[in-house]
Amino acid sequence: MVETVTSAVSPVIRRNNVTISGQADGPVMLFAHGYGCDQDMWRRLLPYFSDTYRLVLFDNVGAGRSDVDAYDRDKYASLDGYAADLLEICDALELEDVILVAHSVSAMVAVIAAAREPQRFSRLVLVAPSPRYINDLADGYVGGFSQEDIEGLLASLDSNYFAWAEALAPMAMGHPEAPELSEELRSSFCRTNPSIARHFARVTFLSDTRPMLEQVGTDSLILQCSDDLLAPPEVGSYVHEHLERSTLVQLQATGHCPHVSAPEDTARAILDYLSAST
Amino acid sequence: MTGSDEPDRADFEALFHQAPCGYLITDDAGHITAVNDTFVRWSGYTRHRLVGSTLQSLMPVGDQILYSTHCIPQLGINGSVSEIAVEIIHADGGRRAALLSASRSPGSGGQPAIVRVIVFSAHERRMYEKELVSAVRAAEESEARRAEAEKELQRLALHDALTGLPNRAGLKAKLDAVPGTGAQGSGRLAVLFIDLDHFKAVNDSLGHSAGDELLVSVAERLAKAAPDASAVARLSGDEFVVVGPFTGPGEATALAAELLEILSTPIQIEDLEIVTSASIGVAAAQGEGEGLEELVRRADIAMYRAKELGRSRWELHEPAASDPTVDRLRALGELRRGINEGALRVHYQPRVDLRTGRTIGVEALVRWQHPTRGLLPPSEFITMAEESGLVRPLGAWVLGETLRQADSWRREGRGGAGLEFAVNLSARQLSDPELVTMVEGALQLRDIDPSHLLLEITETALMADPDAALESLTALRNLGVNLAVDDFGTGYSSLTYLKKFPIDELKIDRSFINGLGSDSGDSAIVGSCIDLAHAVGIRAVAEGVETSGQVQTLRAMGCDLAQGYHFARPLPAPALKEWLDAHGDGEPAIA
Repeated sequence: MVETVTSAVSPVIRRNNVTISGQADGPVMLFAHGYGCDQDMWRRLLPYFSDTYRLVLFDNVGAGRSDVDAYDRDKYASLDGYAADLLEICDALELEDVILVAHSVSAMVAVIAAAREPQRFSRLVLVAPSPRYINDLADGYVGGFSQEDIEGLLASLDSNYFAWAEALAPMAMGHPEAPELSEELRSSFCRTNPSIARHFARVTFLSDTRPMLEQVGTDSLILQCSDDLLAPPEVGSYVHEHLERSTLVQLQATGHCPHVSAPEDTARAILDYLSAST
Repeated sequence: MTGSDEPDRADFEALFHQAPCGYLITDDAGHITAVNDTFVRWSGYTRHRLVGSTLQSLMPVGDQILYSTHCIPQLGINGSVSEIAVEIIHADGGRRAALLSASRSPGSGGQPAIVRVIVFSAHERRMYEKELVSAVRAAEESEARRAEAEKELQRLALHDALTGLPNRAGLKAKLDAVPGTGAQGSGRLAVLFIDLDHFKAVNDSLGHSAGDELLVSVAERLAKAAPDASAVARLSGDEFVVVGPFTGPGEATALAAELLEILSTPIQIEDLEIVTSASIGVAAAQGEGEGLEELVRRADIAMYRAKELGRSRWELHEPAASDPTVDRLRALGELRRGINEGALRVHYQPRVDLRTGRTIGVEALVRWQHPTRGLLPPSEFITMAEESGLVRPLGAWVLGETLRQADSWRREGRGGAGLEFAVNLSARQLSDPELVTMVEGALQLRDIDPSHLLLEITETALMADPDAALESLTALRNLGVNLAVDDFGTGYSSLTYLKKFPIDELKIDRSFINGLGSDSGDSAIVGSCIDLAHAVGIRAVAEGVETSGQVQTLRAMGCDLAQGYHFARPLPAPALKEWLDAHGDGEPAIA
């Protein structure tokens, strides 16, 4: 069941295209999508939680169906701007004891938010987190990338500039095996404003959130994937070491998006963690 | 349709392997399970090398990130991606631009999902798009630079270049931008108007760069001390304001006291320790709608009062208290109306020949019938008229009215006929190039003999610009008009000057007449004045004669004429006419 959330509740709801489903009276799970996609990324994971939890999803400003006009380059010049939005959503909906599930760069947004307002969150579930993508030779930190790699990413984004510019992206002629998706969803999924994508990429991949880890006291689960280009095993270990009260779980799933490629395994790991720690 | 028309398996294999683009089949993680000949040839790798490795591993790292963050989740959720721009690293190490489309079939039962990928060579298109993108980026940057330049220009227009504080326009813009502090609804707004004491001395003695340094230091100290919600601006020179919401005048004056303390801290400029102080005027908004301009104006008035009261202090502007500037403007407006609407009167005081006791003339004295304050003597408004220039129309009116009256009495005959009319000229009138024409015209209008007109000029007015005065007086004398030096003894004119001017009469200031008989010094002065007048061949006249004793003394000293309450106070024309008729025709005014 999807609750109706009107923008009359708060401009924040409209800005971040907040949607609510699951059990209205259940404990709150708030899902924060990562770089490159939008809230639809959680689609395959949600059925494992919707019978028990109240599910709150949103799009980062600049992604999905968020209010692109609210994209302020100064505000979103660091992850703090995204953390502020996340806390505003909690505040607008008066969410308490939130289980915050956050993927990729948003895992670090979650870390910042939990450091700011610890009382708001009961658990953090960090999917494929990385506090810094670029290697730091000075203190032996392995993030997996060099500065040049990130420049390469920005060039790749430029190459896709026109393909991503709104209404220009052609759809594949056929997708016979995905009948459950409506045309409308297909055309909007992961739609990205190319200029924002480029700026967000820069902010994401040049961020360094390592100092924030030690400021978090919330119980947390770290889900580490196999063969994840963006979050190699060293990074998962680093987060685990520096995040007090954290649990590290190694998933069989490969790649950067286990909730997409292996939703059942991912859900199982999260449910096991939640039941074990309550 | 016959069987031979159906494409067989060999046809499909040929279509797969010899298609005009690269075909690959991968698993969800991108591991290549099959690849066509076209791709093998185009990429330069062996089939053996390709199968088993991941498609992403053929891309540069940037594209790998893109593939992981965009394509794989889209394939998982959406089932397809289309025309993703990537580069494939050729076996020779070079990069080949390509477009990648893919669709995914989820696995079922024990079967894993498969992803079918097409790769087009897109060299031409990529080159073309690169150009377009760089054009877009250049346009964005140029737009950003233009916006930046505009922002900087606006900043310059709204800020003082020396201190970086907002200027007057910037202050207004800043306050307009904050709701509740704009021109409307400034219920609790207060203004502190800060002016450095003796700033000019710093500039003059230490130079402008030291002065600038001091201003910057003051600006920094004010900005640091002002409350967060307030704005600090530099209006001009050494004038600063702090504007902000306050709970009331008490809080604003407390801040003023604090700022005085902070500004009195000595600062080091060019190896010299400079101790500054300031005077601060405070004005708090009275209610809704009192604008910034008005508040600043009131704070400015209070600041001036702080200066007058000894500097290095604050003063609060009380809106109820009278405001000298406003009072003066209001009075000027009333006087102007008074002149135009006939509120001026001329009263006449007899001038008596001390030898014969006869009234030989009158002095015309202006009065202002003020709508609320009653009949005002010249001392209440002449200075104001003089300073504002209203004295010209006023003086012209008095002369015209006096001559009209002279004409009227001449027609009536008896005591009013044959009198000499004395009229005062102000310093400003004396320097008026139109003066002679005006006097001549007034005389002609009533056909009055110029020798019946005596124009009185104060000694001070005469000495203000003796050369110009001489010119004017000579021209008037040539008209046949008589001239008198008024209030004599209060200026510093020398005998030399007196001899130079074409004057007929010396009027001894009333302050000396007052002391006649009681103050030997005054008696000596009066005696000297009379002697002086006679020495240069002119009449001596005593003003403000109040007692018969003074009359006796003056007569003994040889004074020619006298006027004062002893004879008659200045009277309206009808009353004077009665007085003249009673004392006229040889009836001596002196008892």
